[in-house]
Amino acid sequence: MSRPTAPDRAQYRMRYRDVFDRPASSRLAMPAMVMLATSILVFGLVDLDFSPARLWSGVHQLGWISLMMLPPDPGSSLPLYLKALGETLSIALLGTTLAAVLAFPVSLLAARNIVRSGVVRFPVRRFLDSIRGVDTLIWALVWINVVGLGPFAGVLAIAVSDFGALGKLFSEAIEAVDQKQVEGIRASGGNALHEIRFGLIPQVLPVIAGQVLYFIESNTRSATIIGIVGAGGIGLQLAEQIRVLEWQKVSFLILMILVAVAAIDWISSKLRFAIIGRRAVA
Amino acid sequence: MASTVSILPQVQLAALNETYRKAVVQRRLRSALAAAVFLAVLVVAAVGAEVNLRTLFTYFGNFVSYFDRILKLDSGARVWTDFGDWFWGWDKWLRMLGETILASYVGTLIGAVAAFALNFLAAENTSPAPWLRFVVRRLLEFARSVPSIVFALVFVIAFGLGPMAGVLAIAIHSTGALGKLFSEVVENADMRPVEGVQSTGAGWLSCMRFAVLPQVIAGYASYTLLRFEINVREASVLGFVGAGGIGQELVVAIRKFYYSDVSAILVMIVVTVFCIDISTGWLRSRLFGREGRA
Amino acid sequence: MVVAGCLEHAMLVAEGLTCRFGAKAAIDDVSFSVAGGGFVGVIGRSGAGKSTLLRAINRLAPTSGGRILHKGTDVTALRGRELRRWRARSAMIFQQFNLIGRLDVLTNVLMGRLSEIPAWRSLAQLWPEDDIAAALSALEQFDIAQLAAQRADQLSGGQQQRVAIARALVQEPEIILADEPIASLDPRNTKVVMDALLRINKHFGITVLCNLHSLDLARSYCDRLIGMAAGRVVFDGAPAALTDHVARELYDLEADDVMGVVPAGTPGAAAIPALGNAAAA
Repeated sequence: MSRPTAPDRAQYRMRYRDVFDRPASSRLAMPAMVMLATSILVFGLVDLDFSPARLWSGVHQLGWISLMMLPPDPGSSLPLYLKALGETLSIALLGTTLAAVLAFPVSLLAARNIVRSGVVRFPVRRFLDSIRGVDTLIWALVWINVVGLGPFAGVLAIAVSDFGALGKLFSEAIEAVDQKQVEGIRASGGNALHEIRFGLIPQVLPVIAGQVLYFIESNTRSATIIGIVGAGGIGLQLAEQIRVLEWQKVSFLILMILVAVAAIDWISSKLRFAIIGRRAVA
Repeated sequence: MASTVSILPQVQLAALNETYRKAVVQRRLRSALAAAVFLAVLVVAAVGAEVNLRTLFTYFGNFVSYFDRILKLDSGARVWTDFGDWFWGWDKWLRMLGETILASYVGTLIGAVAAFALNFLAAENTSPAPWLRFVVRRLLEFARSVPSIVFALVFVIAFGLGPMAGVLAIAIHSTGALGKLFSEVVENADMRPVEGVQSTGAGWLSCMRFAVLPQVIAGYASYTLLRFEINVREASVLGFVGAGGIGQELVVAIRKFYYSDVSAILVMIVVTVFCIDISTGWLRSRLFGREGRA
Repeated sequence: MVVAGCLEHAMLVAEGLTCRFGAKAAIDDVSFSVAGGGFVGVIGRSGAGKSTLLRAINRLAPTSGGRILHKGTDVTALRGRELRRWRARSAMIFQQFNLIGRLDVLTNVLMGRLSEIPAWRSLAQLWPEDDIAAALSALEQFDIAQLAAQRADQLSGGQQQRVAIARALVQEPEIILADEPIASLDPRNTKVVMDALLRINKHFGITVLCNLHSLDLARSYCDRLIGMAAGRVVFDGAPAALTDHVARELYDLEADDVMGVVPAGTPGAAAIPALGNAAAA
């Protein structure tokens, strides 16, 4: 095979014009987007007070802190920490359960195949969306104002913020059911209640159970966080120890959280597998 | 009844009924047991979390009245009767919101770039060495498992108060989350093109650039946009620990009982989060069609 | 066009039945009447409106014009409890079986009794003894009573369809509407299910209205065929009266495949334009 010679090249150029002379818009689109993204980044770095000097001294500090963290050591507070960890797990479990119990009836109202009229459905959806738009931590602060400091505020914070998320997920699960099974009930002479009880619930229950388990799992993380603002659990201890710069205790607490979260992950994935089988887990 | 079914003789029927009952009873027993265990765990948890239903009911009134109060101006009028008074600090709050969004943008971008640099090392099918994969995976796992606000708490001490600590916290947490998702995208990629490129004599970098990257770039961008959405939410509360943004204003308002300020800032946050959700959702469907939404 | 029987004596009459989805009419001005005890096959290409017709009779598909009379009652006007009773009496059998996958077989069959049992009993799953007996007997008729406690989605397609027929039977139907009942089944189960329908038809005298894609099957099981094309009835008569020419019209160019034979001695005039069309397309 020989290389194309110069006249050939001209000929190719004539024949495949769009390969050789791409229009400016398509050639420039990618570089323009990268330029834009980079310039916003640079602007952000400047605006948010990034400076090499600060970064350097911060990294230096961080290295020092990491050294101080070794070895992780709870001191004499281990029983206290274990109790706090138990509190955190309780907050996650109770909050999620409460949220699921409240969310199911509301999710029926937000599902297209249950409530046909948009007059009811859309307000319910927007309501759930707005609750979801407010972070768990904010709900925690609000509940602390209402019921005082402590784990109970944490339970309520998780319950409220998950109520929004679960309500939306449940209604999506309900909309995704196999309508043929519901139709089977209708064709045999069942009424609307029968359709929900026999056609819908057997189908959505395992999906919902899987979602609730997944939320319990991810709420173990959230529950550690809400302690930071005073809603009980291990986060409270963590924030406290960071404030008083007890780095060995801090690293021990972080390790504890990581191990607990991994353990819950493992248990919940086993349970989910048992309930709905591998296919539906994703 | 049933003129359309010839009913079986009693003996045969009883036998069939018995077999059915036995099978069903076993199943029901199992689910009853599971329910009982769950309830027991719930009760233990309730004791542990000092949950008291009586308190809940007594305080529920407080919860309602709290919302009543945050929807009232100092003058006693409803907030929506005087928008000017309700959003009196709008210019300051908007600036803080802008800072929040900018911080999440910078954090997400840094995180995405870092995740991009690491993910080929973490994916099963593209990693050059097993020990490297193991190390990178553990690092990503750590960055993902520690919540960004915990990073923020530590970074505020190391880097000083202000948005810089928040940005770095977001960046590290996003690196962990995106690194895992990115490497999953790579693991789902078709490896035949890689063989094709390899067979032309190309090295590891070229294989990644020409055979893997075209398959995964859409997934990367989609996940990054999704992460940006999540990060805006998270950044709005990082101010609680002094890491900059609107959260700082909110926590002050809540703690000092500036009721109408709480609702004003909340409304601004919710609207911003809505707008970001909608625009990234639109962008994702524009760029990648329906499958990119997953 | 042949209309079988006098209107007063027919058990099911459709008068100018029309179903519109948007601007498109899925069935358009369909009229026919069915005497009790027949095995009627509805044939035609996919999209001809066969499925909508059966669903309209069961009132699953909303009708936009015309009437359906059952022994003189206008079923298109029924509402509430009466409507549900009619749905039970005109039992549907679906192509995809439409069983509840996660419930056991017996409960699935008992679904056929919903319209007769007080709601509180059925919602609490407190089924009357008689109904359980009927359900088990119906299952035993199809040799699957031993599967009563199994989950429906763990059954094979043929078994699921037999469960669906058992469900239809405990509804005490006067007519069975079978919508492509064998389209998802293998040849062996096709025979089992079609034989079951035929047995019900002959043994209990229940009218069967059955959508079929395959003309061969329709010819060997049905005693009357209704041919549909583009939402209209284009043939109504005994299987013997269905000439190759009509079949060709019904199925367009698919006729050869559907008949399973190469039509010998078709007039050349009919074949040439068809070929010409194919070449032009």
